Amino acid sequence: MKRRNFIRNVAYGSAAGLTLGGVPLRLLAANNPLAKLAADSVNDKVLVFIQLHGGNDGLNTLIPISQYDEYYNLRPNIAIRHTGTRSYLEVDNTVDENARVGLHPDMLTFKEMYDQEKVAIIQNVGYPNMNMSHFRGRDVVFMGGDESGNNQYKSGWMGRYLDNIYPGYPDDYPSPDMQDPIGIELSGTLSLAFHRENGIPIGLNIGSPDQFYQLISSVGVDPPIAFPGSHAGDELRYIMEFEKKSNQYAGRLKEVYDAGSNSTVVYPEVYPYASPIRANNLSSQLKLIARLISGGVKTKIFLCRIGGFDTHGEQVDENDPSLGLHAALLHNLSGAVKAFYDDLNQLGIDERVLSLTFTEFGRRAKSNDSYGTDHGTATPVFVFGTQLNSGIYGVNPGLSPEDLHNYNLVYNIDYRQIYTSVIQDWFEGDDQALIDTGFSQWVDTRLPIVATTGIQEYTPGKNPTSLLIYPNPVQDMLHIQYNLEFRGALTLHVIDGSGRRLKSVQLEGMFGPNTTAIDVSDLKEGMYHLQLIHRGKQMHSSFLKL
Amino acid sequence: MASLNEITGVLGRKRAAHLLRRATFGPTIPEIDQFAALTATQALVLLFDDTAENPLPPVDPLTGNTWVDPTGVAGPPKAGSGNSEQDQLFEFFQAWHMDVMRKAPLTLKERITWFMHTHLPARWTEINQSEAIYYQNCLYRHYAYGSFKELFKKICVDNAMLRYLDGYSNKKNSPNENFAREMLELYSIGKGQQVAEGDYTNYTEDDVKAATRVLTGWELDETYSFLDADSGLPIGKMRSHLAGDNTTELATEHDTGAKTFTDKFGGSVIQPSEVIEEFATVEAAYEELDAMIELIFAQQETSRFIARKLYRFFVYHFITEEAETDIIGPLAQILMDNEFSIVELLTVLFKSEHFYDEDDAVKENDNVGALIKSPVDLFTGLFRMFGIQFPDRETETGTFYGDMAFVVSNLVDQGLNFYEPFEVAGYPAYHQIPGFNRNWITTYALAHRYQAAGILMKTLEQSSERTFVLDIVDWVENAGHISDPSDTLELMDVLVNNLFAIELTQERYDYFLYTVFLDYTGTNLAYARGLWTQEWNLYTGSSDDTVVRNLLERLFTAFIETPEFQLY
Repeated sequence: MKRRNFIRNVAYGSAAGLTLGGVPLRLLAANNPLAKLAADSVNDKVLVFIQLHGGNDGLNTLIPISQYDEYYNLRPNIAIRHTGTRSYLEVDNTVDENARVGLHPDMLTFKEMYDQEKVAIIQNVGYPNMNMSHFRGRDVVFMGGDESGNNQYKSGWMGRYLDNIYPGYPDDYPSPDMQDPIGIELSGTLSLAFHRENGIPIGLNIGSPDQFYQLISSVGVDPPIAFPGSHAGDELRYIMEFEKKSNQYAGRLKEVYDAGSNSTVVYPEVYPYASPIRANNLSSQLKLIARLISGGVKTKIFLCRIGGFDTHGEQVDENDPSLGLHAALLHNLSGAVKAFYDDLNQLGIDERVLSLTFTEFGRRAKSNDSYGTDHGTATPVFVFGTQLNSGIYGVNPGLSPEDLHNYNLVYNIDYRQIYTSVIQDWFEGDDQALIDTGFSQWVDTRLPIVATTGIQEYTPGKNPTSLLIYPNPVQDMLHIQYNLEFRGALTLHVIDGSGRRLKSVQLEGMFGPNTTAIDVSDLKEGMYHLQLIHRGKQMHSSFLKL
Repeated sequence: MASLNEITGVLGRKRAAHLLRRATFGPTIPEIDQFAALTATQALVLLFDDTAENPLPPVDPLTGNTWVDPTGVAGPPKAGSGNSEQDQLFEFFQAWHMDVMRKAPLTLKERITWFMHTHLPARWTEINQSEAIYYQNCLYRHYAYGSFKELFKKICVDNAMLRYLDGYSNKKNSPNENFAREMLELYSIGKGQQVAEGDYTNYTEDDVKAATRVLTGWELDETYSFLDADSGLPIGKMRSHLAGDNTTELATEHDTGAKTFTDKFGGSVIQPSEVIEEFATVEAAYEELDAMIELIFAQQETSRFIARKLYRFFVYHFITEEAETDIIGPLAQILMDNEFSIVELLTVLFKSEHFYDEDDAVKENDNVGALIKSPVDLFTGLFRMFGIQFPDRETETGTFYGDMAFVVSNLVDQGLNFYEPFEVAGYPAYHQIPGFNRNWITTYALAHRYQAAGILMKTLEQSSERTFVLDIVDWVENAGHISDPSDTLELMDVLVNNLFAIELTQERYDYFLYTVFLDYTGTNLAYARGLWTQEWNLYTGSSDDTVVRNLLERLFTAFIETPEFQLY
């Protein structure tokens, strides 16, 4: 049932505050048609967002095999070896030559997951005018905008999405149908991700549910509380909302936690070699998420994070670039995620969980003298799950001087092509959800990461630039589907039998699948060519106009 | 129309309390009364007093002596070798700083020092030298009443900062942009809108690169014996070697080229005034640093950025358009005209109608009580108002450090990772848009803040090893602030008027009095109030304080566990 229908059917206003005939809604939950409507409007899919805090160095995570020499020459003091002990692990030798990559040698567990088809690697992700500030970079991606002037949001896209599927927060929640926190962040602070345009953020941050419960149930006083009409009053209102929510959710989270459990899968705790950071901080977060989901929590989005990626200096060990801080972080990331999915599998819930890494920017292609890297731009994104169209999306970044920009990588895939797929294909969000999050313009160019029907045949890593037109013969609108290996400007020409260009269209194409259409109703009957020119190459397809 | 016009007359109790709550780590009741009788000008004389000695350095319980020396004579780090290890020394430093704030005289010096730390942060896990962090703290204290611009020149080459943001590995042939970037973006002029690739309105990527080059060549002084001439404190130094004349010091790793800034800085070019044997002299390198800071601080936007930081710290987190024009503009100009003297700015601010909500009749924009306490403020306010005794940090180190470790762990639970900010911009409450100090409020942190009463009165099973405690019965009876504790309304008024920065409505007041304190649901209010009087008189007649203790603890806890108490 689509969200808009639900809203039309609710004559009373808010879901949780409803009484029918004086009887509070909670008592009617089992039979209440309204509660069922709400249930139908969201699926049971969960998103786990793993923030790699500080800016992950993509080039030492995924080593571009096809450009190994250029890679090495840009960063000889930190480059991962291509032969010998602790050299990179080739991920997949069946993909196109220019998409072949090697993993950092401490990511063996990642490779295992890739072989189980549980990973989608997305290369060179970014957005126009990437911002190399930690805060701005992070904020931009959390808010769902970019730096081309299209950034009007003060809220996070996750906040807007959750606000769309759970309208009326905070007053109407918990509700009989959604008793759980709508979003949960497992860190000490509440990031911008869950902020909405108005009101308190729609997510909660917690330590461990057990402690959280002990804590919350021991404090707080009841209303009445008056809010003076001053700035102090505004702050009071803000604080009060948090207090109310905490009380409401604490008991529920404890219930869920007690009902849930982890399997016997062991989560890795420590990086086995020397490194400034060895403890695996991601394991406990993912383990907790697995337990909460197994206990029946209906929270849709979890945010967790690992810090330490801002490797300006000492990114690697001076004597062995495959060791050191970055190695430990990658090892911990891979190991924790593998354990997470093994755990979810044992618990029988792995099909419901999609995980996604995020980092505010990649790092400079050229290393610095401190065995580290400065802030950069494009970076890979990793998607994990059992329902994926797995593989490698996108080709390796160009590393020759003309491809780099002040020694920075140029992005090829816009991050919104990924997030739109999460909203549309994973969460099955409707049109309104896409409008609210701000991603509706990306629907046609979203990456087919989630294995689902209705999207054209697409095999990641094996998709050179291609062109498809229909219908053929055509009368009015000629639809064009084209697949690009590189985003960028392209031109479409409609050419007649004598080689004359009758129509021309300039477009900015995205990486991957794109669609457009040209009105050919005014053409005379006959044979024509549609020519596509992109990055100096051209392809064409002929069609018959009736 | 927001206005910095001066208020008139003596402060009176409300204005005095507001001023002291904002300017210090928490007034006592007699201090509020004292300041109530003063004019703003007289009050500021006291608040800017500089006669108190600087706090003595922290003590290592293992030796009974300090391991640091702000005069720089102490020399290299002494961790291990008879002293405690660095990790422990850091914990002693944390405890010391917390105690310094708790015991600070009623002046602005320590508060400005804290402001500087929240603006120019330090992170233990990146710095790992307790000495460096201690000397940085001394540097802030030294310049608290001085020029923020001069401080800035020092912080660029401060050991802790050099380590934190990689300044020490920024060399002419391998520049490291980390500090230069954050210096522009977070600490001085601030980032504007991104109007083109690499152009952030107030500066560009090219300016970051130019600044990086100016900052090349400094290194850590891990002996802490190289002293800054102006402050006399240990500071980072220039990598150098002697020229052929065996006298002139040359800056070995300093970039000797011309550093051209963009038109955002008037296209200024900074280059060494003296180059010998292809090296800049050390003196010339310092001149370049000086010139660069002067250049950055000559920009209007820098003064506005700093003024806004101070406004958010002392007034309110949200700056309306009106406040930006009528308050920030003039405050920024004061900084420009006075070598960035924070004292000059605060003098005008603390005497202004705007600060006391008297610049217009509109209540909606009133700022009294509109800041959310940091976990430090939450504790120091209570410690100071209720005169809670702590062990002496010099002579009773065992119990002192135990108590403070407990306090610090509670700061962390309340959301303040003390000297361990996750971000190089510092603790989120002081910089994270849009909420700023609202970032102190999360479900987890709020619940811990509410526990402060139980922590102070030891009604929580949390830790029996700590020694500090608030004996609420003793305070009510003997502290001298309540002339007749059996007078229910006087008791309530003293607590309510001094604990809260905002006025309670009658309904809320009655809720605390009758529902919480007296547990009374009837309508005979005079009778209900009499119940307390009875209990108190019973107590003073016997020596059994069980009932009055329970009642007072319940009331006090209720006051703390409120949204109202989070504000100041």
